[in-house]
Amino acid sequence: MRRLLALWEKEYLALSRDLLGLAVLFLMPAAFIVVMSLALSDVFRGGPARQTEFAVIAFDGPEFAKQLTERLAGDGFHPSPEPAERGVLHVTKPALTLIVPLGFERALGTPLGKAGSPPALKLVADPTLPPALLLAFQQRVLGVVLALRVSAMMRQAGIAANADAFDLKRAATLSVETIGGSGRPSSVQQNVPAWLIFGMFFVVMPISSLFVVERREGTLARLVSLRVPFSMLLLGKVGPYFVVNLAQAALMLLAGRTLVPWFGGETLALPARWDLLAAVTACTSFAAIGWGLLVAVCSRTLEQATVIGGVGNILAAAVGGIMVPRFVMPESMQKLSEASPMAWALDGFHAVILRQGGAADIAAPCAKLLALAAALLAAALWVHHRRRVLVSAQ
Amino acid sequence: MGTLNLDALSFRYPGRGENVLDKVTLAIPAGGIFGLLGPNGAGKTTLISILAGQLRGATGRISAGDEPLEALRRRRPHSLGLVPQEYAFYPMLTCAENLRFFGAMQGLAGARLRERVAAAAAFARVESVLGRRAGRLSGGLKRRLNLAIGLLGEPEILLLDEPTVGVDPQSRAFLLESIRSLAGAGRTIVYTSHYMEEVEAICDRVAIIDSGRVLVSGALSEVIRDDSDLEELFMQLTHRSLRD
Repeated sequence: MRRLLALWEKEYLALSRDLLGLAVLFLMPAAFIVVMSLALSDVFRGGPARQTEFAVIAFDGPEFAKQLTERLAGDGFHPSPEPAERGVLHVTKPALTLIVPLGFERALGTPLGKAGSPPALKLVADPTLPPALLLAFQQRVLGVVLALRVSAMMRQAGIAANADAFDLKRAATLSVETIGGSGRPSSVQQNVPAWLIFGMFFVVMPISSLFVVERREGTLARLVSLRVPFSMLLLGKVGPYFVVNLAQAALMLLAGRTLVPWFGGETLALPARWDLLAAVTACTSFAAIGWGLLVAVCSRTLEQATVIGGVGNILAAAVGGIMVPRFVMPESMQKLSEASPMAWALDGFHAVILRQGGAADIAAPCAKLLALAAALLAAALWVHHRRRVLVSAQ
Repeated sequence: MGTLNLDALSFRYPGRGENVLDKVTLAIPAGGIFGLLGPNGAGKTTLISILAGQLRGATGRISAGDEPLEALRRRRPHSLGLVPQEYAFYPMLTCAENLRFFGAMQGLAGARLRERVAAAAAFARVESVLGRRAGRLSGGLKRRLNLAIGLLGEPEILLLDEPTVGVDPQSRAFLLESIRSLAGAGRTIVYTSHYMEEVEAICDRVAIIDSGRVLVSGALSEVIRDDSDLEELFMQLTHRSLRD
């Protein structure tokens, strides 16, 4: 145990003097959390939280345009302060412009399929508008037109009826509840665990770099000549980097609570079950350290360690829903993402932070991460055993 | 501890066809300095690595007195010390931190650890730089720190692999004097070097190996005959062709 403590102290001292390594471990994920939380904040907003401008150009006259505009406004869609009254469409603003042809208002009272049906409406949309928003506005236009058509037909039938009575918005009250009761995930709730996981897996860099230096400089050979078991040398790396991962988790949660709102983003909602959060963090840490140990043992040079560790992490992050949320991926990519350990870790963090889940909800991701950690550690020992040569002797 | 005996020691790196050591048989008496000489690639460092327990898979037998070396090391884990040709310490740690770390790895703790760190630092004359980062030391100080680390456990067998490479004449003279004094304390010292004058100055016995085979071995006075010197003998035995 005394030797293990000495190994941990050595690792701690070496890491604490590696400013670049510390920056990679702490500043990089914090910067990603702030930047990506702010950059993706609109993607995660739904309904009224997101403001989309629209305009109506009605060739039947400004009164009909005003009537349509008032009915279409709401739930995040609001009239552009610069209406395209002259029929000039801005390049990007407003994002949506409804063009109502001449005779549309008069034709509303005509039954569908008969001669004189309303001429086609045209919706001009900004190409960067999310498809879901375009679809929502389309449904909104159709709802408003339906209400106008029904009220016009009833008026023709001699029944006084206001179109408001047929507005789809008033057809029923529909409330949406999310699992866990915490509401839809905000950008910060997606990005804090995602980039925390990314940062945790980057312990591969200092672990493997120091290990390569130890082998190259002969310190590893010296330790082996002192009869220090190789398994103890590997364990000597686990303790300090486990503490580093815990510190990363604490600081990244703090960044989500303080740094992101300070820059104008939302505040991270903390989970009710801290014990489960600690469990997911620990399992993620073991998997990340196991990966670091395998890369360390397999790499013969610093360049190899940097490339294998860095590229491996970026690929796992890209596939695992760290860089791009999995829910925006096509189905085939979502299936592929299930192979990424970062996706397992993200599932665990989301179960605790977003869904306020229990132990059963994190059991599967934690089991997968622990199994991976054990497999990686075993692989590191096996690779070392296969080589049977610790020094670049001769 | 009696004589360190190597009996028909052979070794081949995995995946390579030829033996790096081929039936090496040597007798290294206690209380002296044994010079192990050979051109680059002769197998010196491989032999040192096998003695230090870094390389496995060698055939043959190594014994210390009547006891297999492995059994001695199981019984007294720190009976053997290694000073490798690399600066085998942590450059980002201070000299004191390096000494404490390697001392702790040899099972030393508390007052005993402090005592051994102080003694090794004093012996290698690095007391004045204990608080400095090891990576920022001069070449001579690095060599002395390397030696100090090797002496922390007071080993009975000390393996010195080219311990004077890259140092100035003052540091070399100091290191050679220190090594000579270590042998006087009854230790068995195996010393490899490319500097023949060093070997002639401090070694009692020598062996010249090449291509993994022992070409000559014995007391220095027996090996060098007539008016020739060690370098001349070395060149005669290993020839003048470049090795790397």
